Amino acid sequence: MAQPIKLFPQLTRVVSHFKKFDIEVPKALLEAKAKKPDLTDFPYPLPQKKKDYTCFCEGANGVMWYGSNGGVTRYDPNAKSIYDIVMYFGASRDLLDNNVQALFADGDGVWVLTANGVTHIEMVKMSMEEKAYRLLDETLTYVQRHGMVSQKRLAEAGNLKSALPYGHSDNDGSFSSAYAMGEIFHYATLKKEKGAYDEETLRAREVAMRASEANLLLMYIAGRGNGFVARTYLTKDEPVPDDGLFYKKNGATASCLNTTDARHKKVVGLEVKADAPIPERLRKMYTEEGYEDTDITYKGDTSSDEITHHYMHLLVAHEFLGCEDPEYDELLKTAARNTMNHIIDNGFQLREADGNPTTWAKWNEDYFNSAMGWADACLNAAELLMFLRVTMHITGEAGKWQETYDMLCERGYDKLTMGHFDRFHKVCLQGGIDDREDIMYGDHNLAVLSLWGLVTLEPDEERREMFIKAFRSWRYSLAPEYTPAYDFPYFLSDPEAQPDEERVKTWFYRFNVSRLASAVSLTSRRDYPVKLFMGDYREVSALPPNDERFIAKLDRDPLEYKNEDSGGVFCVESCYVYTFSYWLGRYFGFIEEGEE
Amino acid sequence: MDKTIKLIGNAHLDPIWLWRWQEGCGEVLQTFRSALDRLKEYNDFVFTCSSAAYYEWVEKIDPQMFEEIKTMVRRGRWVPINGWWVQPDCNMPSGESFARQALYSQLYYYEKFGKICSTGYNVDSFGHAASLPQLLKKGGMNSYVFQRPGMHENDEIPENLFWWDSADGTRVLTYRLPDSYAGNGKEALDRKIEDANERAEQTGHGMMLFYGVGNHGGGPTKGDIEYLETMLEREGYNELEFSSPDDYFEDMLNQFIELPSWNDELQHHASGCYSATSLVKELNRKAENVLAAAEKWDTISSVVTDCAPQTKEFEAAWKKVCFNQFHDILCGCSIREAYDDFVESQGYATTIAGESYNNAVLRIARRIDTWVEGVSDAVLHTRHYTGADNGFPRPVVVFNPHSYKIKMPVRTYHPSKAVTDSEGNEVLFQNVRSSRSNDEHLDTLFMAEVEPFGYATYWLECDNVQAEKELSGEENFLMENEFVCVEIDNQTGFIKKLVNKETGDDLAGENFLAIPTVINDDKTDTWAHNVFKFHEIKGLMELQSIERVENGALRSVIRTKHKFGESYLTQDFILAKGQKTVRVDCKALWQEKFSLLKFAFPVGGNEEISTYEIPCGFIKRPCDGDEEPALNWADLTVTKDGKRMGVAVMSDSKYSYDCPGAELRLTALRNVIFADHYSYRPAADFDFTDEGLNRFSYGIYVHSGEAEKSDVVKEAHLFNNNVVAVPESYHKGELPEKDCFMYTNADNVVITALKRCEDGSGDLIIRLYETKGEDNTRCYLMSKLFDNGFWFDIGKHEIKTFRVDRDTNVKEVNFLEGIVG
Repeated sequence: MAQPIKLFPQLTRVVSHFKKFDIEVPKALLEAKAKKPDLTDFPYPLPQKKKDYTCFCEGANGVMWYGSNGGVTRYDPNAKSIYDIVMYFGASRDLLDNNVQALFADGDGVWVLTANGVTHIEMVKMSMEEKAYRLLDETLTYVQRHGMVSQKRLAEAGNLKSALPYGHSDNDGSFSSAYAMGEIFHYATLKKEKGAYDEETLRAREVAMRASEANLLLMYIAGRGNGFVARTYLTKDEPVPDDGLFYKKNGATASCLNTTDARHKKVVGLEVKADAPIPERLRKMYTEEGYEDTDITYKGDTSSDEITHHYMHLLVAHEFLGCEDPEYDELLKTAARNTMNHIIDNGFQLREADGNPTTWAKWNEDYFNSAMGWADACLNAAELLMFLRVTMHITGEAGKWQETYDMLCERGYDKLTMGHFDRFHKVCLQGGIDDREDIMYGDHNLAVLSLWGLVTLEPDEERREMFIKAFRSWRYSLAPEYTPAYDFPYFLSDPEAQPDEERVKTWFYRFNVSRLASAVSLTSRRDYPVKLFMGDYREVSALPPNDERFIAKLDRDPLEYKNEDSGGVFCVESCYVYTFSYWLGRYFGFIEEGEE
Repeated sequence: MDKTIKLIGNAHLDPIWLWRWQEGCGEVLQTFRSALDRLKEYNDFVFTCSSAAYYEWVEKIDPQMFEEIKTMVRRGRWVPINGWWVQPDCNMPSGESFARQALYSQLYYYEKFGKICSTGYNVDSFGHAASLPQLLKKGGMNSYVFQRPGMHENDEIPENLFWWDSADGTRVLTYRLPDSYAGNGKEALDRKIEDANERAEQTGHGMMLFYGVGNHGGGPTKGDIEYLETMLEREGYNELEFSSPDDYFEDMLNQFIELPSWNDELQHHASGCYSATSLVKELNRKAENVLAAAEKWDTISSVVTDCAPQTKEFEAAWKKVCFNQFHDILCGCSIREAYDDFVESQGYATTIAGESYNNAVLRIARRIDTWVEGVSDAVLHTRHYTGADNGFPRPVVVFNPHSYKIKMPVRTYHPSKAVTDSEGNEVLFQNVRSSRSNDEHLDTLFMAEVEPFGYATYWLECDNVQAEKELSGEENFLMENEFVCVEIDNQTGFIKKLVNKETGDDLAGENFLAIPTVINDDKTDTWAHNVFKFHEIKGLMELQSIERVENGALRSVIRTKHKFGESYLTQDFILAKGQKTVRVDCKALWQEKFSLLKFAFPVGGNEEISTYEIPCGFIKRPCDGDEEPALNWADLTVTKDGKRMGVAVMSDSKYSYDCPGAELRLTALRNVIFADHYSYRPAADFDFTDEGLNRFSYGIYVHSGEAEKSDVVKEAHLFNNNVVAVPESYHKGELPEKDCFMYTNADNVVITALKRCEDGSGDLIIRLYETKGEDNTRCYLMSKLFDNGFWFDIGKHEIKTFRVDRDTNVKEVNFLEGIVG
């Protein structure tokens, strides 16, 4: 591997808003007279039309700040990276509104007077590790729910303190797994760098173990005794939304609650076994909060997304936590065996309480040969093989797992993993749309985890090459995103690939220091072309930095041309997108902290 | 699995081949009439026909019949196919030409029929460049039908149906015709049905069966349709169905079939076509370059001076060029008389380009402030330059149509005493021998530096000019500048030293380079059917004389004269200051029948890799000596003394090379009989394709490392330059003496088109592509034309088209400019 990319402390945008006549607002800002800047020979693309800039000021080190009726532009002619020469700040991510009336420089930052008040943009010098800790702290304080993380709704947009105490996501299991893996790599990195008994290492281990346990609990909590994995769970103090299948645990059984989905599937009131024992070590996630088993309502109809994340989590947890904690390792192994047995015994699918497969967790040939499953088959084949490889690896067993693996390969599952692009492209053409219009962005992470796992664990050289080739077939849609969470596992898998240093740096440097969802003004920008596709989908022609587009998430298109995510601005996301990438990169030596 | 065989009734029409275009036009009218009659007679019959040019002929000549066609298209009975103006040669047109093939055709189809063509169809074209999938897709097409090369010519390309990928990642669903686009008569149809049935069984999916009388048109006959009707339900065979390629591809997409993929070019069929008939190649290159350059400056000028752009005129001109890229025209294999027509037609295009270019740059030049206080009125003289006789320097404005900054010699047709730039700095210049014998016999060459899409004003002092000193006899014939050193051998006239001064590498070493080699070519026809290598050397041209004809401050010129039989070749080897490319201007009086003239560069070394320019990209091919098509340049890179180094040979008008091992050869002339198609050559005094006087230029560029990482693309584009020096006069004006209207930051991006949108909105269209095969480069483009710029990421070999509206919103569109598709 090449030398690690050194990440240096960067000026990072931190904003705070004030009322116009707040005591903290400098008088000079309110008295500043707007003077139009002369941008005649401005040498870089500007986010707004030149005539729309109304004011400017000069900050430290030759940095210029320009205000317009479309937000603030920062120009640093001495920026080391092309991505940092011109920066854009807009509402509601950075400003109260975009109608800038005056600017007043403040060291590296600037005070901005807009129609609705005042914003102080501080450019705080921050290392990437510090950013990881700040993000983690925000997640632990505002997002965490019974040790799981995904997102939290806010009563008031942009106000962390208004986070509701409840609220789940359909993919809690996936997001929490990624978060847990990130924290396990965090612990592993510190253990390697500072030693096992360093205070910081021990603290990291505690966070990692709690994240891992909370996640592992989802593989046990249904209590069906057949390895069924819950999407997530709620306690009695959390309202049950009308969004999927929920089972209220009542002791020996759990009954399916009356939701739209349950009525549609005719399973309202369906009773299912619920008293299979839950390891006490995991159960404490809710008992220590004062809840009993009968206070738990879990969510079913679990998808392949969750199972894929869980198995990779099992692998990572086994490697770094289980190796030093046999009791915990046994819980990991048991979970792997149980769910693997469930999948095999049910014809390579996850089976719901009514005997039907769940909507999305299907890995069998019937599904692969269906209209819906044909394009999914290559990914799902890789997932299933990965589950088996992980199970074999962490349990140290062959037997049934190996036999199943061999049987699947004989039936062409291994070769099938290489066909993703062929099938996907064909389906797009069939639908009269372009490739990028039809990408399920959530599949990206599933493909990366599955193929990374397979390339890592596959002992057969020829088959391993197949999996590398399969990984390459995903790169046409993964590569333009420059997301380290995808790229680092790929570089670990394909020896011919190398990171693009400037893109890696930009991704980390320009990641927001908060996971507050907020709109950005992408559609009003003049410096980003919008790309028209055959269908109605739109992307921009250049990947905007993380802090100039809607909140970075692994299941979204980072090039999408719009102002905010479908989740809206009333939420705060978890830190895992950054922390998983950062600690994975640190652990495997792709990145390291540099000193100025 | 559905294994239906789709019966594709089609008419392949060559508008020019063994006949002239007037006959081709008549053949189109007859064929279309016949097809309409058949559609009325047979309710299930479907007719497929390509080439927007033919539809436009019919629309203009027989509007009533055109209305009938529109009705049939609406009913899905008549299927226009191939969103290109004709079935062009698919190797030699530039990427920009392919964009225009699609632009004008698809917009025409959309206007007349309400839809564009989703299938490409070049069933007779002789080979297909590796970049075609992207060029098709960006022209609105997702699938492709081709026939050549046949399996006997290349059996590595997948048969039947496959995915064809270009290097940028684009793929099109492609169908390879197993036999022919034509076919009629019971016997032929039976054979085709049998074959298609067998293929359907083997592959497990449906097939297409093309039938109809072709080449000189005709289309499906009554007999064929009636016979096929009887076969529709024949037992023991897969179902037959009258259909179209569009339907076939749609059906295939709806089936769960696994198909092979191919990520290379589709070659070779007619290897002689890339060098036959130099005239057509020369005028194609010239027209492409001058049209693109003129259009850029017309666009700039229309914005800067607020005048109407010549969009409609350019459309008319490009349509002529597109038509003349028809494979039998551009490949040089039509009858001689057809090239008289070609010259007229191409002249129409270049005349539009020339006039528009001149108008555009003069509109700008006239607005530059060139006023000098004290300058007098005009003085009558042979050349009455206002003010010049009173000692005032004369302004000359140089316009650069490239997205590269240029620093190169430009010529004005009078001598000078001194040259200064707009800041008053002295500029390197040289008075050189003019092409006239009148007045001072001298022209001025001066070193112009001009920003991308910019202009710069220079001041030339014209009075009391002294002639350059006569050159004394010299022993050595060596020229060098800061980049390259080249020495010509005084015994052979070949290059004996070619040193890259940046590295010290001598590409010649023990060998001679640029060897004019005469190759025998009497065993094949104009296409060179079944011949893929031209290696039978008749002899090397013998040196008659060598002299240094210029050795000034700006450049040196060494002239060699060679002879072979009754054929003569004069070469001026030119090396100017600051230039990385050695230019060789050639004049060949060619009389050698059944011959090729090649310039051989036996570089030697090992680990040889040959690289060739293709439309909007490059390709690496094996150094196996096959004759290969290329656009502006080809390159041979080798390892010598443990170092990678290479030589690229570019030209202003040639398209054919071979590379037998560590030797690169430019094919400059191919002198064979016109339209000699597998013929037995009866006794006759035939005309030959390249006989008589041929003028052309080639360039030699040396580099270290691999070709694609060097400046070869830039050098070759500049070699084909259309930089214009406009002699100006003294006047007031609002524009500065120099300016730049557009540039990008990326050295691996070239802007190939700057035009107005075809929809009359006034929006700007900017097209560019990535030249070095580098992935996802972050770029920006800045322009005074819309007073801002924009960011874009561009992938390897990717073509991008941007549309900027009057409110400076930028959209990324395809070749159809966001109007349709």
